[in-house]
Amino acid sequence: MFNRDFWSEIFMALRRNKLRTILTGFAISWGIFMLIILLSAGNGLKNGVTSNFADRIKNTYTIWSSSTELPYKGHKAGRFIMLSNKDIQLLESLYQVDEVSPVVSKGGTLIFSEKSRSIYIEGVKPIYKNIEGIKILEGRFINERDMKTKSKVVIIDENTNKEFLRTTGETSMIGKTVYINGLSFTVVGVCKANAWGERGMGYAPYSTLQAIYNVNEYYQLIFTTKGLDTKEENEAFAKEVRKKLAALHEFSPDEQRGVWIESQMVNSLETMRIFNTISIFIWVIGIAMLISGVVGVSNIMRITVKERTNEIGIRKALGAKPRSILLSIVMESLVITTIFGYIGMICGVGVMEIVNMVMEASGAGTNSEMGMSVFVNPTVDIQIVVMATVVLIVSGVAAGFAPAWKSVKVKPIEAMNYR
Amino acid sequence: MIKLENINKTYFGAQPLHVLKGINLNVEEGELVSIMGASGSGKSTLLNIIGILDNYDEGDYYLAGKLVKNLSENQAAEFRNKLIGFIFQSFNLIPFKTALENVALPLFYQGVGRKKRNAMAMEYLERFGLKGWAEHYPNELSGGQKQRVSIARALVTSPKLILADEPTGALDSKTSAEVMQILREVNATGITMVIVTHERGIANLTRKIVHLKDGLIESIEENDPDKMDFTKEIK
Repeated sequence: MFNRDFWSEIFMALRRNKLRTILTGFAISWGIFMLIILLSAGNGLKNGVTSNFADRIKNTYTIWSSSTELPYKGHKAGRFIMLSNKDIQLLESLYQVDEVSPVVSKGGTLIFSEKSRSIYIEGVKPIYKNIEGIKILEGRFINERDMKTKSKVVIIDENTNKEFLRTTGETSMIGKTVYINGLSFTVVGVCKANAWGERGMGYAPYSTLQAIYNVNEYYQLIFTTKGLDTKEENEAFAKEVRKKLAALHEFSPDEQRGVWIESQMVNSLETMRIFNTISIFIWVIGIAMLISGVVGVSNIMRITVKERTNEIGIRKALGAKPRSILLSIVMESLVITTIFGYIGMICGVGVMEIVNMVMEASGAGTNSEMGMSVFVNPTVDIQIVVMATVVLIVSGVAAGFAPAWKSVKVKPIEAMNYR
Repeated sequence: MIKLENINKTYFGAQPLHVLKGINLNVEEGELVSIMGASGSGKSTLLNIIGILDNYDEGDYYLAGKLVKNLSENQAAEFRNKLIGFIFQSFNLIPFKTALENVALPLFYQGVGRKKRNAMAMEYLERFGLKGWAEHYPNELSGGQKQRVSIARALVTSPKLILADEPTGALDSKTSAEVMQILREVNATGITMVIVTHERGIANLTRKIVHLKDGLIESIEENDPDKMDFTKEIK
């Protein structure tokens, strides 16, 4: 059935109406092109936004201290709840909690060979790197030894690093001694900028800052959890933590404030949900566009069949079976949709690959000042291409079938006498 | 070969048209029959029914001993392909196919391979003196050549029955005579032939003339074409 003759018949039919074939095909190409562009853009947005979280461990929690809203057990409303080592012990006693890191923050001035820069230092544990997804560009992050020995080491951000290199003419800041609020620290690493605005950002071992500044109360605790996978589990866990903290700090269990508990997991699940909705929306628009292309093909096939009525009649008189007529028309439609669909798909993928290349080369789409990406890797993956192919084939058959069926049903003599 | 019993056919349009009002006709194998009648007498409709290009409402039609009634499109296609060869007034060649491809087309639907198909088609074209025109398209051929191509196409499957609807209708008298000569020669090889015509001169070249009037057979005339001198003008 599908031998050389069969295909040569189909391509001959398509060649006979080149302009029409091309115009029809263009609608399909355009539909699939736009579908790919939309999906790629959607992917880019998704990749961009999720890349901001991507390097972070998902199962982390942050607890922020805050003031109360309700009076409770003789305490007035508006009391500020500070977090302390007692909270750390409490959290560590929970079986879901893996590791707790307090965050000690300190603003100050960073001085290196008489150049100074305003800086914000966070005292943290090594795990913090993974929790916040901090990217080390040079050197290393804080390690356990730093923690134990309370060594005075600091990781500075890339902007600060660049600034000092530029003003002092040094080639690397690693190993250099800097002064933070008058105390000497050794630079051990440079991280990707994660700060807002002009101020520099640095990380030092939490134990070191605690020893220097004698900090026992914290505004912020970060901890990782294990075995909490769903939104429900996380919400239940957050409730439990809040109840325990309420008992410890003697604030009302009905308190809405007091402490803020934020789950990275719930946040990322929420984000994913939004992007899935966007994806569905894009598919709907894309498919609608494709449908208009398919309707175009179907219309053209109707006209083609009408024009070829005589020929079809002759073929029937000569002994063409309905199946061969049906197949040849459906295949003709299928050939138009798949060939032009593929052209559209290749163009779409090509355009987005170029966009991606240009963006990567120029660094567009990411805002280094903000340390945030909004648009990353705007391409589609192979599953989507395969799915688009399936959509094309189905639509090609659908477009050709109705006209083909009509031509099969007409009596040969009527077809032959048709003018 | 052909046995028609009380064939009735009505076209249901804005006004129902009863074209065939009970046709009874027998055509034996190897016969050369013409159907004559004024336009509107139903002669083309009758030929279409014999060729299974159209269906009929009442009666029975036996082709080569088999009842042709309520056939599926597939069966009808098979009958037409294997048993019947058609020759039309307007030739009905496919314009974008060469003479050779046109002749080979029925074999394509029989599933004959490309090489064999083309060889057979070429053989028939050669037989009608068209070897040099094999690669030409229908619009590059004269009327007579076109009709010879369509005769070649009708014969290429070695059918038992040839149906010709006004085969000379679009041809001048000289070419008509040539075409009729060819058809008579084909008939002489034992192939049954039914020709629809409104020209007496053409009918005179057949052995049996069926006169049709208002959907009924008026008379069947026996005729001896050998008395005719078809080398002279027949119109």
